[in-house]
Amino acid sequence: MNFLIVGVGASIGAFFRNELTLIQAKIKIDFPIITMLINISGAIILGILTAQIRNGAILLLLGTGFCGGFTTFGTFNMELSQLWFQHQIWRCFWYFVLTYVFGILGFVIGIHI
Amino acid sequence: MRKKGEVFLFLFIGAFIGSDLRYLESLIFKTSSGFPLGTIVANLSGALVLPFLIHYLQDRFNLSKRVILTLSTGVLGSYTTFSTFTADAYRLYNSGQWVFLLIYLTITMIGGFLVAILGNYWAASRAFNDYVKREGRKK
Repeated sequence: MNFLIVGVGASIGAFFRNELTLIQAKIKIDFPIITMLINISGAIILGILTAQIRNGAILLLLGTGFCGGFTTFGTFNMELSQLWFQHQIWRCFWYFVLTYVFGILGFVIGIHI
Repeated sequence: MRKKGEVFLFLFIGAFIGSDLRYLESLIFKTSSGFPLGTIVANLSGALVLPFLIHYLQDRFNLSKRVILTLSTGVLGSYTTFSTFTADAYRLYNSGQWVFLLIYLTITMIGGFLVAILGNYWAASRAFNDYVKREGRKK
């Protein structure tokens, strides 16, 4: 049952992530800003959920499922490596720093709202 | 891909598999100390395989847009997670497990970047080997 709950939540999260990623191609910013915003907002949402929701099944659906499927670590690091190989060292550095700082900060803010 | 419904279906299947693999690993690698080993295993293995998929397997097996969407955005995108990482880090901070926190941050942040770099080299190396084999056959 838990596997079904996680899977459904993650599928919806992944769908939203994919919809948002399509915007990246349209905007003319040479920086993976969409993935960054996805990861930071997902961390804020997970913080809020962790603080507010006591029901284990709902937390599994929205936290482990939705937020887990919405945010991504693989794409983030692949984009980092791409910036690195393109010799865009500063963009790589700022992408790294901004994502981690505001991601962790976002979770902390979310949990204290 | 023409229809939104089609995209959703393929993402649904991929994300379902990816997230449940991650969930399964969080159960398998459950530690008594509370160290989030499951998240590390999922995130690092996913970050290693994604560049290999995009930069090698895609060309090597002529994978269609659909298959790539299912495997990269779906399976690997949901298999790896950023939000759980921030939650794990906060939990270690909150319970005063400073050494674990330091180890966790280092492995995830530095390790994630390094395995992604490694995944690119892995892809390039396999592509190069294929090229050498192909050229060798011609002669």
